[in-house]
Amino acid sequence: MRYLTIALSKGRLTDMSVELFEAIGIDCTELKSSSRKLILTDEKNKIKFFLAKPSDVPTYVEYGAADIGIVGKDTLLEEGRHLYEVLNLGFAACRMVVAGPAELMGKLDQLTNKRVATKYPRIAREYFEHKRKESIEVIKLNGSIELAPLVGLSEVIVDLVESGRTLKENGLVVLDTIADISARMVVNRVSMKMESERINSIIEKLRKELEKRCEA
Amino acid sequence: MAEWKIYTPEGVQDILQNECFFKKNLEDRIRKVFRSSGYYEVETPIVEFYDVFSTEENIIPQETMFKFFDQQGRILVLRPDITIPIARVAATKLKDAAYPLRISYIGNAFKYNELGGGKQKEFTQAGVEIIGVNTPEADAGVIATAIDAVKATGLENFQIDIGQVEFFKGLMEETGLSAEETEKMRVLIDRKDFLGIEELVKEHNIRDDLKELILDLPKLFGSTDVIDRVEKYPINERSIKALNNLRSIINILDDYGLSKYVSVDLGMVQSLNYYSGTIFRGFTYGVGFPILSGGRYDRLVEKFGKSSPATGFSMGINMVMMALDRQKIEFEKPRVDTLVCCSEEGRKTAFRICETLRKQGLVVEMDINGGDFEAARNYAGLKGIGGILKVLDDENIEVHNLEKGEVSKVTISELLKA
Repeated sequence: MRYLTIALSKGRLTDMSVELFEAIGIDCTELKSSSRKLILTDEKNKIKFFLAKPSDVPTYVEYGAADIGIVGKDTLLEEGRHLYEVLNLGFAACRMVVAGPAELMGKLDQLTNKRVATKYPRIAREYFEHKRKESIEVIKLNGSIELAPLVGLSEVIVDLVESGRTLKENGLVVLDTIADISARMVVNRVSMKMESERINSIIEKLRKELEKRCEA
Repeated sequence: MAEWKIYTPEGVQDILQNECFFKKNLEDRIRKVFRSSGYYEVETPIVEFYDVFSTEENIIPQETMFKFFDQQGRILVLRPDITIPIARVAATKLKDAAYPLRISYIGNAFKYNELGGGKQKEFTQAGVEIIGVNTPEADAGVIATAIDAVKATGLENFQIDIGQVEFFKGLMEETGLSAEETEKMRVLIDRKDFLGIEELVKEHNIRDDLKELILDLPKLFGSTDVIDRVEKYPINERSIKALNNLRSIINILDDYGLSKYVSVDLGMVQSLNYYSGTIFRGFTYGVGFPILSGGRYDRLVEKFGKSSPATGFSMGINMVMMALDRQKIEFEKPRVDTLVCCSEEGRKTAFRICETLRKQGLVVEMDINGGDFEAARNYAGLKGIGGILKVLDDENIEVHNLEKGEVSKVTISELLKA
């Protein structure tokens, strides 16, 4: 039997993904040990795992270097890869929003030069240019996005918001919600066909496990 | 100055001896399949007017094309695709030819593809088109040729998924969704984004039984049971017609004896503005992208002035080569059987030997080291040539078998008799 390869996002999604896979009987012991091996194996189920930077997971899966990936919806939207997005895992839930000073509420379309600071240029463009049909200037930042409007680098920001506390403490408000975000399972388009039995069985088991948790 | 002279641009490649030898063999095998099914090959220019590929439906987004200008300032492109030029030829130069037309091609196309996973900016496509008929026999015939072509490449484990875009269009018609919403739905189904589909369905006032079917759509792939399952729903005439068409095509493929390669995918909904009926894609292990794709495109040829239904497919040769490599299927390599060396007095005889052996089908190289036997021996060893014939005079020859390390002597008559 061929190995199925699963790409997991390194970071906050890792532990939750591992826990979920263990719950459906996939052995992740090797993954949890502090080994320096890059590719880890569950010999019994013929599954290989590797950890990758979240924004790289969709690339590995699209090119077929991994059959399955676990990654946030934010990354999927930003990367815009050609994949099957088969399951909402529900965890790591948050929102992708447009935020800015409260006085801009309802007045976004009146800004003539709209500068948008964000880690997600593609999501920002898609939202403003296609949904709102407004032109913007994207300023790509790599962290502390909330800072940008405070120091006059941008009018608004597009960013992930979990509780909204950081925004509030800095005098910013959510002006609009772009999308609800959570962890997703993605599958390579060819793998879904060539290995449909095994992949569907994993999807079904995960779906049942998630339903069980919802009810509990 | 000339800083880049030793490089090639990103996305294009030199194809060197071994790979090129194999690629040309592969193309020949595919060409043989096409010819033996009655397709005549054509060549269209690599450079075309931009207008050929620029359509209202945005079939090929303009940012993916290599563009430049001619002397009159008109926009030219490197062809991003070969089907569209063939549609142009069919509607113009071949409009009075014997229909249905069966055309094949093998050639390079160019796109600003993102690289990786076997994708390049310059790539070789091989394919066929049948222009002038809209019958299930034509669609099945094209799929059968596609399967034969894949088999000819040496790939054994592959699968052809067949879908029908009219089924989806009929379904959407029945829901009453706007064109914009339909496109949204198409993208979601194409992505198998179950959650997104559910949300979109909930937002609209759609009949419950249709809702159920739409939610099911991304899962509707596998054996022909899928069609039976869907037929139980009260779907409209357009969708029923699509399913019937799909079923007859699958029945024909069954009679071809090809059903083991074929499966159904009703959730296959790519490029709806290009395809107008049955569509299909081919998959294999080791590459993350389809190795071939095709389908019915009844409204393309009319853009060039003659209304004509059409169907076809195109296979990505580079993708197939990558799959063969990943599946560790042996490539044949080029090889020289014999190197012929001689002194000046033996030259005439040597040339005669070369000619005779080549006629017998051997690959023979004539030594050009200027008579230096040691140099020739070295070269033969490096290149992996099987043996050397050292022609001593017009009668005697020394045979050096380099694989066994043996030397023997024969006369010319003995050698050429063998």
